[in-house]
Amino acid sequence: MTRVVEVPAFFDDRAFDGFAAGFGAWPPTERILVDARPATWASPYGLTGLLTAGQALVEAGCEKPLLTVPASDDVSRYWARTGFFRYAAEVFELHGKVPRIKPDDPSDVLLGVTPIRGAEDVHDVVGRIQEGASRILHGELGIEAKATMGFAMALSESCQNIVEHAGTGGWVAVHAYTFRKRLGGRRAAVIAVSDAGIGFRRSLEATQMKRFGERWGDPAALEAALVHHTSRFRDPGRGQGLAGIKRYLARWQGKISIRSGTARLAIVPAWDEDVPLASGLPFFPGAQVQITIPAQQEPTG
Amino acid sequence: MIQTIRLDHVLREAVRTPYADLVTRPTGAAVRDRIRQALAEPSCRGACLDFSAVGLVDFSCADEVVAKLLLDLPPEDAPYLLLAGLSESHREAIDHVLEWHSLAVAAFLAAGGRPAVLGRVDPDARAAFERIADAGQGTSDEVAAGLGWPTERAAAALRTLALLRLVQAAGATYCLLLPPA
Repeated sequence: MTRVVEVPAFFDDRAFDGFAAGFGAWPPTERILVDARPATWASPYGLTGLLTAGQALVEAGCEKPLLTVPASDDVSRYWARTGFFRYAAEVFELHGKVPRIKPDDPSDVLLGVTPIRGAEDVHDVVGRIQEGASRILHGELGIEAKATMGFAMALSESCQNIVEHAGTGGWVAVHAYTFRKRLGGRRAAVIAVSDAGIGFRRSLEATQMKRFGERWGDPAALEAALVHHTSRFRDPGRGQGLAGIKRYLARWQGKISIRSGTARLAIVPAWDEDVPLASGLPFFPGAQVQITIPAQQEPTG
Repeated sequence: MIQTIRLDHVLREAVRTPYADLVTRPTGAAVRDRIRQALAEPSCRGACLDFSAVGLVDFSCADEVVAKLLLDLPPEDAPYLLLAGLSESHREAIDHVLEWHSLAVAAFLAAGGRPAVLGRVDPDARAAFERIADAGQGTSDEVAAGLGWPTERAAAALRTLALLRLVQAAGATYCLLLPPA
């Protein structure tokens, strides 16, 4: 038996829960076919989430899942340019016409899909992003040039969560694009980091479960990490990464959301209508982090 | 002797990367170990960590390099530690991690200006440091006169600074530590 999981036509963080629901109980007992034919657009969150699904299925011992490439040549070419298919071939059996083009990071892609497996990968992405980040953040989003370093810092810290906590590898991608519905049509830079690892609840269970008592679960684990800055390590210096990211985001009206297991917790700025906490979501393995930095608005009056 | 330690050099020796960024905890721990070795030399009374050719410093690496180095210093007769060549983003990351641990260090910014205390000190100690930083050195009486405080208040603030090894006490005079020329 094969279970078909459809990729939403417009695949971003808002459409992700529908995608996650397609897998049913985890791990699925049937072979999975991820059908990307209807896809017309995918955010970095969508692309890294797709790879995470494939990776998690393989690591759970399931039969290698199938992936049909987007029906639109433009879409599949764009995905190829971001480097998606290079890594998708490792975790999916690909079906359909995969464009034979070299990844070259289109102009709105600050960082194509990149695997994060160790500290050296974090060095690599931080080194690669700085020039492009300055061009996009300062040139397009109207953020002070000095904020570029803070952006790279947020990227570094969010990637390190994979290395330090996931227990397996993950993926990062950074794009800049125009938000059509939210943000009044403004552009934003978006960092998406996703892993297929143990998730926040299992990572923090040994040190935090007792403290939260009956409340313990995916929402409480996310609260412990994002609100209280706790870590599974007893080292008192741990937990500063997310605290530092939040400080940076507060200055630039940015947003962070973390989905892990069956919950998602976000620090929601005024421009967004997202709920701070969503629980009881369809299960998805590991953790998915999205950081959004919007274009700054011209002062009025 | 206070020796200058160029962190870009240490980074290159500690991890094989073409980048000049101090990021990740393993990198920070490797860099800290190298600094510790330098501080363990019998002739070393302190170190000035030179960040001027370092790109990005993230919070995790700042914690490993600066905060943990300060936490590991012996309680008695610890070497002095200064930071130099800091950019605004370096300053922000290091200040954040030192606040987190309630630590403090004296720092010289790449952009120039008065040296600053990064991290957490009480307001009196911070004001006294700024006074010493402006004058280069001073006694309790001089700092008290400059700040309009009773002498005892200035003396207590200067003792705190000396205990935190943010200034050097030489008899009744408290001196700013400067990076080696």
